[in-house]
Amino acid sequence: MNLLQNRRFIMTGLAPAVILYALFVFVPVIWSAYYGFFDWSGIGEASYIGLQNYAEIWRDPIFWRALKNNIIFVLASVFGQIPIALVLAVLLHKSSLLHRFLRSAVFLPMVLSTVVIGMIWQYIYHPQIGILNFLLNTLGLDSWRLQWLSDPVIAIYSLVPPLIWSFVGLYLIIFVSALQNIPSEIHDAAKIDGVSGLRKLVSITLPMIKNTVQVAIILCISGSLKSFDLVFIMTKGGPAHATELLATYMYNSTFTTYRYGFGSAISTTIVIISLLLIGTSQWLASRKKDAV
Amino acid sequence: MKKWITVLCFTLITSVLLAACGGGNGTGSGSSEGKVRISIWHNWTGQDAKATAMRQIIEDFKNDNPNIEVVDEGLPTDGLRTRLRTVAAADEMPDLFVMWPDAMTKEFVNGDLLQPIDEELAANPEWKNNFIPNALDGYTVDGKVYSVPMNLAPTSFIYYNEAIFNQYGVKVPTTWEELETAIQTFNDNDVIPIALGNKANWVVQSTLFSTLADRITGTDWFLKAVEQDGAKFTDPEFIEALNVLKSLGEAGAFQEGFNSIDETQMMQLYFQGKAAMVINGGWALANLVNNAPAEVLDNTHITILPAIDGGKGEANVTSGVVGTGLGVSKKLEGARKEAAMKLFYALAGPDGQKATLDSSTLVSYNIELDRSKAHPLFVELYELMQDVKITPVYDSKLGSAATEVINNGLQDLLMNGKAEDVAQKLQDAQAQAAGK
Repeated sequence: MNLLQNRRFIMTGLAPAVILYALFVFVPVIWSAYYGFFDWSGIGEASYIGLQNYAEIWRDPIFWRALKNNIIFVLASVFGQIPIALVLAVLLHKSSLLHRFLRSAVFLPMVLSTVVIGMIWQYIYHPQIGILNFLLNTLGLDSWRLQWLSDPVIAIYSLVPPLIWSFVGLYLIIFVSALQNIPSEIHDAAKIDGVSGLRKLVSITLPMIKNTVQVAIILCISGSLKSFDLVFIMTKGGPAHATELLATYMYNSTFTTYRYGFGSAISTTIVIISLLLIGTSQWLASRKKDAV
Repeated sequence: MKKWITVLCFTLITSVLLAACGGGNGTGSGSSEGKVRISIWHNWTGQDAKATAMRQIIEDFKNDNPNIEVVDEGLPTDGLRTRLRTVAAADEMPDLFVMWPDAMTKEFVNGDLLQPIDEELAANPEWKNNFIPNALDGYTVDGKVYSVPMNLAPTSFIYYNEAIFNQYGVKVPTTWEELETAIQTFNDNDVIPIALGNKANWVVQSTLFSTLADRITGTDWFLKAVEQDGAKFTDPEFIEALNVLKSLGEAGAFQEGFNSIDETQMMQLYFQGKAAMVINGGWALANLVNNAPAEVLDNTHITILPAIDGGKGEANVTSGVVGTGLGVSKKLEGARKEAAMKLFYALAGPDGQKATLDSSTLVSYNIELDRSKAHPLFVELYELMQDVKITPVYDSKLGSAATEVINNGLQDLLMNGKAEDVAQKLQDAQAQAAGK
């Protein structure tokens, strides 16, 4: 009886949130999937065209480039942000004044709006007054001067440093709090056993925060899959689609060329790809755990 | 725990998709106690002379017509376009709204959102007959006129700094060879020949390529290619046009990194005297007059793209569109329609056209410029336009998908793309659009 009452209470308590969530998350996703079967410009009648939108996405080289760019972003985030944040966290996890100051400095980009970050890096890369080319000149490395954001071949790689820079702070804070949560008894035990330095890091510290790292990797994958703002501000997906991501590809198809049906089909594709990627990474992580 | 993370990630992903789907509000359109209420959406939000003049007309109209309540809402141009699209999808158009000729007008008419203004035009023949030839074409669908242009927007002029030309003894180019020589000389002296900012990828297409291509292919060919009727974008003349643009880029006509700076920064390069020329539309004039330092502004003159030998197009034309007009919502009737048409006439009628011209904006309407009031540079532009004709801009005639293709194609072409590939992609896109 008590259990039943409890469950009823939990269900009534959850209901408003679940209803709101379904209304604003699931319903639009389903609507969007539905529109994906239509040829619709936003005005006038929509005509049903079956899977043609999906067939067109499959054939569209821009989609594949966007997917490739997105994968570059995911890899750069996972192999850039996480290791850097981890190293910084190990170096800076004490709560001394210097460490706190340095942590705040690394965290600062998280507080800035992406627009500001985009503007800062645009000026760093600026072809005429950019600091980067100026530095290379001063160092006598004239041949390294590049048209960072203008050249379709390198533009996507030029976007990687701002991406890493802007999110390292977030993972740093997550890792620092995980490190500080390691019970001091374990440190004491390690001291008694005479373990210190690198050995302690590899055998004690890292295994203790393994779960946090896993969560961070998943946040990192989903975060970089949905990245849009930085690219939209810095290059708008250009030049010539060179920095197109799935999200900018969806935005441009929907709001620049006004193909709402096609854009909806892309949105649905993004959801499917995201679920697949996250499912895979979950599966990999759980398999590892079972093996151990 | 794992499930929770999946749900969290799912939320994160879907929220980004949803973020792009913010809807527009409906517009209130009730009338309260004898007072007629009409709504108007416009893009006169800036501090420039044109926007100020238009807002003034609306204010005066409000004061002169106490029984009409005007709800006006200003949005930046890009925002207005997107928002109109959104409310169009929901069939909640405002009563009057600034809209663009050709593609947008056609689509709104096909969506059954507009009503024609033929009656009003017929009632005021002196108004109707004073528009320049073909001015109403972009607003005419199936023989019915849906609006009138409130300005004229040539998209391609060369603004040049005469002092820099004189300093290096360069002649202002009237032939393509002279342009090439000028580029060579400026490059030898470390001056940027032509400032370009093509980050928002329409700039090259609208301000340079539309005119350049017209010089080579002629207007008839372009209109045929748009209809996909007897001409294709893979035709040799179009490939040649692309190659001429490409060779301009290869000759170093533009400064480094033009694909990553925007139009504002492009004008800054010119304002700073670092560039000898900048190619931009008629709209850049207000920006120049307001923001350029005196030593640049006083030396600035205006001309059009030089002639190209052997081209099929005329030399004395430049690309452009008749400007924006006002759309009248289909749903208006009775007293509210009457009030809306009164405001329409105040803004786009003879007085509105005069106010526009007085605010240094070209109009598609025959009125004489008061030379004593206008800035000398605007007088120069006005005089230039007396014998220069307008040819279509690519993005006004091509469908929006094809426009996106040519815009991106030109970015690619100017870096290392091939003319044939760009032409093929454009042909495919336009064939698909025309095939529907």
